[in-house]
Amino acid sequence: MNLGSQQTFRALADPTRRQILMFLKKDSMTLGEIAGHFDMTRAAVKKHLVMLEEGLLITSRAEGRERIHELQPAGLKSAIEWLGYFDQFWDERLASFKTAIESETGEQE
Amino acid sequence: MTGTTIVKTVFFAAPPETVWAFLTQKSKLEKWFHPASSDLVQGEDYALLDRDNGEKLCWGTVLEMDPVSRLVWSFTVKPLNGAMTKVIWELEETAGGTRLSLSHEGVEVAAGEAALSLLTALDRGWDEHFGKLRETIKALIPA
Repeated sequence: MNLGSQQTFRALADPTRRQILMFLKKDSMTLGEIAGHFDMTRAAVKKHLVMLEEGLLITSRAEGRERIHELQPAGLKSAIEWLGYFDQFWDERLASFKTAIESETGEQE
Repeated sequence: MTGTTIVKTVFFAAPPETVWAFLTQKSKLEKWFHPASSDLVQGEDYALLDRDNGEKLCWGTVLEMDPVSRLVWSFTVKPLNGAMTKVIWELEETAGGTRLSLSHEGVEVAAGEAALSLLTALDRGWDEHFGKLRETIKALIPA
């Protein structure tokens, strides 16, 4: 296993951090907004956010004087596999769509 | 939040009305996708069923229906664990037929949500869990 996914697992292996992810699933938030949901200091929440960022589960960007934290679902490794899965899924479905239509219009002629 | 959108375009040598019927009618959907629970109706839920045992394979709600040009479904499959994506079908009449465009949005987000809800349901065994998730995805729907 590479370092990246080890850090992802470490980030996920804590109920507070998983709770933060559930909040960010709904909307991106500032540190203050996240901290408002927990009975702990902003500094403690910040530490959790750093670990989530190291685990590639969230990203943050500056907006004015605040930092906005956002869920990065691709950090959960399955996302790429899902994209590949659906890409192939639709190719197959559309191919049979074409066959079905052609056989129908063929019958009408 | 923007995800990665899957986009496909197909040309059919048939009028849009025919292509539309294949996208919305139970008896036609069965010919290329899976048997549908009923004809598709705007605002109502739909389901595509396993030919063998009648289990739901794909399902969602018909969000928009603008005959014979635009059809939008919310769309999920069993291993996505309830996380919804969006499928947009657009039909355009062209010389001698119809161009059908498919956009599948929100897969990345839904995959993340599905993984997250699976992970939050359990407090240990992350490695094993990711492994199982991969297997489930690969073994998904019979063609």
